[in-house]
Amino acid sequence: MSPRERTNGPPADKATDSGSGRFHIAAGAQNSLTMLLNLVRTGAATTRYELERRSELGRAVVTDRLAALIRLGLVEEGELGQAVGGRAPRHVRFRTHAGMILAAMLDHSSLAVGVADLSGRLLAEHHEAVELAAGPEPVVERLSTLFNWMLEEYGSSADVWGIGLAAPAPIHKPSGQRLFAPVLSAFQNWDSFSFVEELALRAGAPVWVRSGVQTMTMGEFKSGSGIGVEDMIFVKLGRSIGGGVISQGVLHRGAQGAAGMIGYTSVDGESLEARAGSETIEREARQAAESARSSYLAGVLARTGEVTVTDAGHGAQLGDGFCIELLARAGRAVGEALAPLANLLNPSLIVLGGSVAQTGDILLAAVREAVYRQSHPLVTRDLRILRSQMGGSAGLVGAAQVVVEALFEPKFLQGWIALSSPREHPESRDFLARAADAMKREPQGPKPPGPT
Amino acid sequence: MSITGLGPHGERAVPANQVTVSEADAEVARHRRFSVAIVLHTTVSDWAKEELAGMVMTLGRYAAAVVEVVDCGFDADEQVAALNRLANEPVDAVVSIPIGSDSVAEAHRAIPAAGKKLILLDNAPIGMLPGADYVSVVSADNFGLGQIGAQLLSPHAPKGGTVGILAYGVDFFATHEREIAFRKWMGAHRPDLTLVRGKFPDVSRAEVTTAGLFERHPEIAGLFAVWDVPAIAAAAAIRSAGRTIPMTTVDLGNEVAAELANGELIKGIAAQLPFDQGIAAGVATILGLLGREPPPWIALPGLAVTTDNMVEAYQVIWRAPAPADLIKARRIRIPNATP
Repeated sequence: MSPRERTNGPPADKATDSGSGRFHIAAGAQNSLTMLLNLVRTGAATTRYELERRSELGRAVVTDRLAALIRLGLVEEGELGQAVGGRAPRHVRFRTHAGMILAAMLDHSSLAVGVADLSGRLLAEHHEAVELAAGPEPVVERLSTLFNWMLEEYGSSADVWGIGLAAPAPIHKPSGQRLFAPVLSAFQNWDSFSFVEELALRAGAPVWVRSGVQTMTMGEFKSGSGIGVEDMIFVKLGRSIGGGVISQGVLHRGAQGAAGMIGYTSVDGESLEARAGSETIEREARQAAESARSSYLAGVLARTGEVTVTDAGHGAQLGDGFCIELLARAGRAVGEALAPLANLLNPSLIVLGGSVAQTGDILLAAVREAVYRQSHPLVTRDLRILRSQMGGSAGLVGAAQVVVEALFEPKFLQGWIALSSPREHPESRDFLARAADAMKREPQGPKPPGPT
Repeated sequence: MSITGLGPHGERAVPANQVTVSEADAEVARHRRFSVAIVLHTTVSDWAKEELAGMVMTLGRYAAAVVEVVDCGFDADEQVAALNRLANEPVDAVVSIPIGSDSVAEAHRAIPAAGKKLILLDNAPIGMLPGADYVSVVSADNFGLGQIGAQLLSPHAPKGGTVGILAYGVDFFATHEREIAFRKWMGAHRPDLTLVRGKFPDVSRAEVTTAGLFERHPEIAGLFAVWDVPAIAAAAAIRSAGRTIPMTTVDLGNEVAAELANGELIKGIAAQLPFDQGIAAGVATILGLLGREPPPWIALPGLAVTTDNMVEAYQVIWRAPAPADLIKARRIRIPNATP
């Protein structure tokens, strides 16, 4: 049945079939298609009646646009809903398998890959250690190999619609250009290699890059403790310390894309990273082990030859005085850096992630104490401060969610909705063309190893 | 023996021998007399028997009663039904090896939703998180097992040849990790080899799958099976085809140990330590029940087994004297070692 047949009183700017097999969408119909798709996709409206009510569009327009969305393969009819005084309404739902999203996360010693559906839900994830000293080529090769394996294992016949990449450094946000391949400057000697372009060309889809802490923030916001919250701060406490801000439901990236560099904040004359970063904690823990100030850590060092942040956490849980003091001190420093942010932003949730946050309740309690002590009572009245339970998955989930948000952002969506796939969006094509040019200009050869 | 793989959420492994119950905690646990149910994919394999033995012994040591052991017969529906039932039974904790990922995730969530502790073996269904959904995943280093499988097969794979992977067609983290690691090791150390794959939907189809793989790729000159039971089925398929193809696999089950001893097809085995894993799972269960926070990813290293060390490896893994055929093969290989 064609869209024309479904309408009862034709809309002025109907989505229509030209009869030549090619599906055309009138320019004026794209706004309403975009609005209706996003209502269905987010679950805000799943029946024709709800769509009419939420969109304030007429019945004929909704019927026409739904038929177009079904024809485009973006929406499908589902089960019958509950009848309320008449015929039971037929639910419509977004086809989350119409395309696939790939997600990757790079860190200084590990990488992770995942494959997600169009709701951003991960279907699978894999994490492994990585040796970055060999330079960027083996890493892009590895990501590509793992992507291919995952698509073979979990993918459908659907295309890859986009790739989300999390990198362990701030990612420059250009002004004006919407789809942009930034240089990965996190690793030495990588800036001369077109990593993002290479990854995009191998998958045939554009790449959206964000800093690791920003994707972790998105992951926590969409799938972790932040579900249902509009204003939150995520803090990654690891080798580096960074923060991510969700304000009124939107990730705040800042003017240059570098929002959240709280590791540089000075606390008692030293940077927060120098006070509470994992390297500092490990160094102090090792010294305590060697000098036997901590009998627990001395035992760990004798047994394993190393002392990690995790060991300090175990020691604190088992009542080792040094470990308790070490983590409490780190927690206080984090709390003191966070309190001004809490006062400024009035979040309802602060989530702590990263290896230092996973050490246990001692650090968490110290953070809470410092934030509560230095904040206005109204700021902390309903403020929750929690530890992340998503681990390394937060960054992957968030990378996929960054892509979902970008693909279905109304203005971008208008650019491809009539073409059924964002791969056909002129900006996607332009992105890939520029990537191909960059690769042509840059003869790929052996690079000097990049120490990390 | 080191642990090379990361956990389901990228966690660094904490070796099982570093996770212990303090004397004070042990005393508290004994007074609380916990009840624990164990849900396994099977209870009949050598691996499952040893895993169970380690858990039961350890839980007993802390006065926790194992009130039920469920054998799901590799059936995800059985597991879903068992978990939904156990959520309403008077047990304090459930130890489970999830059969699959998405299909069993909700049923596993029913356990913490009912206020009980959940400890997972080998596998965390996608989306399940430590702390919120489960206490710990206690696992073999499956990534390491895959690497060992590749390392042991490599000397027997001819240069430029084709190597087959007999993979499990179910969404199972542990076997996926083995396959990914096998491919990675071969890619890094034997880029001359071509890798091809056959996927069996359940172990009863492993022989047919292997035969199909050989039909499609008669040039196969080496095979890695993701665990020992399908490896035995694959060996039967190889013999039916009248061929001799070197193989490696995971788990030193009795049948595959005999195959290793005869030296014909199986050239090496990446062995797990199921009894030790069972002990670690028991410890994690007690810690979780006491409100301690054991590490989210507790792992045990794999053990590379060849004819050179199969007798001692057998003793370590199964805590029993090796069967006569293994000892005989050892005597033949090391004549001076015979008393």
